[in-house]
Order: sequence, then C-alpha cells, then structure tokens
Amino acid sequence: MAEGLGNRLRDLRAERDLTQAALAEMVGVSRKTINTVENGVFIPSTLLALRLARALGCPVETIFSLED
Amino acid sequence: MTGSDIDTADRLSRRRAKLLPALAILFLSGQVIYALGPHGASPSVDQLKVAAWLLWAAALLFLLATGGGPFRSREVRALMDDETTREHRGRAYAVGFWIAVATSMGIYLLTAFDGVKPREALHIIVTAAIAGALLTFGYLEHRAHRDG
Repeated sequence: MAEGLGNRLRDLRAERDLTQAALAEMVGVSRKTINTVENGVFIPSTLLALRLARALGCPVETIFSLED
Repeated sequence: MTGSDIDTADRLSRRRAKLLPALAILFLSGQVIYALGPHGASPSVDQLKVAAWLLWAAALLFLLATGGGPFRSREVRALMDDETTREHRGRAYAVGFWIAVATSMGIYLLTAFDGVKPREALHIIVTAAIAGALLTFGYLEHRAHRDG
C-alpha cells in the first residue's frame, strides 16, 4: 500500500458487482491502472480519483483516506 | 470507449511488458557480441554494424516513447498510454538518465588508464541507458499487471 494512503477501491467495486475491466471502462483508463490503484502500487491523480468517486457514486474520501 | 477496447489494450499492454525487456536483452547481447568481435577488417562491415545499431536504438526509443500500437484506434492507444503507463515511462527515463551518468563517469575514470574513442564511449553510454530504461519500463508494467 502506498505509504500514508488508505484505499477501499477493491471493496467498493466488489460491493457494486463491478469487474476491474468494467470500472476501467467507466472511468476511461486501462484495467492495469485500476489494478495498481487497488493494490496500492499507484497513487492516482486528483482527476482520476474524482472520476472513480463519480463512477462508484460516493465521495472521494470514501475511497481514499489518510492513514494516521 | 468499449469493453473491447479495454480488453485489446490490456492484451497489447501485457504483450508490450514482455516484449520490451526481451528486445532490451537482445539489444544488449548484440552490442556485447559486437564489442567482443573483430573490428577493422572491413570498414564497410563496421559501418553497417554501427548503422544497424543506430537504427535499432532509435526504434527502441520510439517504442518506449510512444508505447507501440500505432495501427490501433485512438481509444486503444489512449488506454495504452494512460497515467500509470506515463508514470512508468517517466521512471524508466529517470533510470536511463542515471545509468547514462554512471556509465559516463565510469568511462571517464577508465580513460585515465586506457584510451576509449569518443564514438565507442557514446556507443556504450547510449546502449546502457536505452537497455536500462526498457528493462525498468518492462518490469514496472509487468508488476502492474500482476494480481489482476
């Protein structure tokens, strides 16, 4: 996981029965990008974080949070 | 953008993650064989080898910079060049830069004891930097596809 950044993307996607490919299509990125964000390997840009939030229908803070 | 575009980009991206490091190893091996082989026997053969190296180096740089997929749709090319790919490319360029600097410093040190011609030095630096950048890019892309 990226240091200091927690994310619930995998859980939220699974709750909505979306595959990585389906979510990737909704936000206009590759499946690889969704995978790296879920695995905490890649910290997305603000733009992508907002697109993910819109696609999942939740505030961006629900997906990403600071780990204290 | 369709699911088919996502699948196509995914497939091509995985292929690229395997292909680029393989090309880098071939490129490096070819230059090692060239360096260890006989020189000066025929100037035209030497010139041909240098021209082939230059073309190969340019082609590899083009592949790294563009990400491949020139005959695919704009959507697929955009997916193959999204923000993770651009970050990986940036990190690969950085590794290539540091390899070029380290190799240059090594050659500079070496020339204190043994002469190296400028063209040979440039050949080594460019080869090492391109191969290092491609291997780094391939590794990062391969890792990004894992556990998917």
